[in-house]
Amino acid sequence: MLQEFIQQIVNGLVLGSTYTLIALGLTMIYGILGIVNWAHGELYMLGAFAGLYLAVVLKLPFIVALLGAMIILAVCGMLLERLVFRPLRQAPELNMIIGTLGISIFLMNTAIVLFSPNPLSFPTEYSNEYLSFLGIAITMQRLLVFFITVVLIALLNYLIKYTELGKAMRACEQNPDAARLMGIDINRISLVTCAIGAALAAAAGVLVGPIFLVSPQMGLLAIAKVFAVVILGGMGNVEGAIWSAFILGLAESLTAGFFSSDYKDIITFFILIAVLIFRPQGLFGNNVIEKV
Amino acid sequence: MLKLSNLAVHYGRIKALKGIDMEVAAGEIVTLIGANGAGKTTTLRAISGLVRPAGGTVEFEGRTVTGLDAREIVKSGISHCPEGRQIFPRMTVAENLELGAYTRKDKHNLDAEYQRVFEYFPILAERRRQLAGTLSGGEQQMLAIGRALMAKPKLLLLDEPSLGLAPFLVEKIFEIIRAINRQGVTIMLIEQNAYQALGIAHRGYVLETGSVVLSGPAHELRHNDHVRKAYLGE
Ligand SMILES: Nc1ncnc2c1ncn2[C@@H]1O[C@H](COP(=O)(O)OP(=O)(O)O)[C@@H](O)[C@H]1O
Ligand SMILES: [Mg+2]
Repeated sequence: MLQEFIQQIVNGLVLGSTYTLIALGLTMIYGILGIVNWAHGELYMLGAFAGLYLAVVLKLPFIVALLGAMIILAVCGMLLERLVFRPLRQAPELNMIIGTLGISIFLMNTAIVLFSPNPLSFPTEYSNEYLSFLGIAITMQRLLVFFITVVLIALLNYLIKYTELGKAMRACEQNPDAARLMGIDINRISLVTCAIGAALAAAAGVLVGPIFLVSPQMGLLAIAKVFAVVILGGMGNVEGAIWSAFILGLAESLTAGFFSSDYKDIITFFILIAVLIFRPQGLFGNNVIEKV
Repeated sequence: MLKLSNLAVHYGRIKALKGIDMEVAAGEIVTLIGANGAGKTTTLRAISGLVRPAGGTVEFEGRTVTGLDAREIVKSGISHCPEGRQIFPRMTVAENLELGAYTRKDKHNLDAEYQRVFEYFPILAERRRQLAGTLSGGEQQMLAIGRALMAKPKLLLLDEPSLGLAPFLVEKIFEIIRAINRQGVTIMLIEQNAYQALGIAHRGYVLETGSVVLSGPAHELRHNDHVRKAYLGE
């Protein structure tokens, strides 16, 4: 019983880490560019393929492949901003939805053509290493997911809270016109935000690719959950996204472990609907009232 | 110092400014008065690069700056303290001020500016670590002005700094505006409170539906029949 519980907690932390890394980019892009990026799951998917290629085909060490995939996807994120998001910024909301949804479909199908629709396995040097305690064995890969996610969150937190870039990002999120009056280059901040968001999604893909499987459809499956995470956390709220990612990840894996895995997806959306009814601003909505 | 020639701004089909001419000399306080929707805010937004003019020119210190990016305008020495304060609510007072100096190259050298801002507004020094969104309306206005000063501007654009403040605070804000001006900062001041504005300004312009209908020294405008009827409620 205890062992089962710990196992499910570990699984929940892995899921929570994945959701966090994807949700962070999604919520930052929404907060700063005002765009809901429906193609964000595909950045996660492309990140996994990039990591798979670097680690399995080029035989680079896993950590190097992880960093490499993050850099490749950061460039993709910047291209996406420049070619798609920037022209859409002034457009009506419907155009934005159609635009990013179109990119999502395009990227997924391109991946199906390039990599075939069949899931690929992504073995790494950590897949067959175990850490044992209390009679349970946890693969190093799972621990690595959680550990690296914590490191990335800490780095992002430092960037946003203490660096000049992070302050400029927050300014753009809180009041774009005033940010322009301070002399902040909003286009540059948008570009950087997309680069960071895409790199974090890529990290998620590379980290969990070896645990699950890598396939062109993986983004589609993840994004519904991640939207739930972002809405629970309050759209554009970075801290809220982190907490709700772990809440949902744990709820899901404990449900799967103690009731039935049939209910694990239902629990996410049950929580989402309950929150939308009772706290439509999200669990961690901003409490500061902007005075007029 | 600043010269607007035949400046026009359109929002879609709305012609908010229909070709206005204005001039501000170094060291002056010039006030823009006019009813709601007359085009006062739009004038400042066109100067600071937040909206692109449909026609006409903006010249600052002999250089044409029409249509330049807001960033370039700040760097050239114009700070805009916008209508409704527009502070960053979920950042601290200190961070708000720091962002005011975002384009400054001499960032290690901001002590003089902080000192000056805290001298004008001692309450901001006390509230340094507090989130700006939790300040009172008057404190937020002080922060907005302080933030604009952090860029060390030559020309300060103030859009209705007294809006919604208690009378004793209005008095105080006007006093500080005068003090800032005495330190050598040229000021363009928008006010609904025409009486007060004409009291501290050297010259004024009266805007009505996107056109300048009157201009002149402040003391003359104060005794102008039209101004007295329409804006001073006499
Ligand atoms: N963003 C905008 N979009 C459309 N119309 C606007 C916008 N901003 C201002 N206007 C219109 O332009 C005119 C001038 O507005 P404004 O410059 O704000 O006047 P004032 O500051 O004198 O009250 C008004 O008719 C107003 O409705
Ligand atoms: Mg106005």
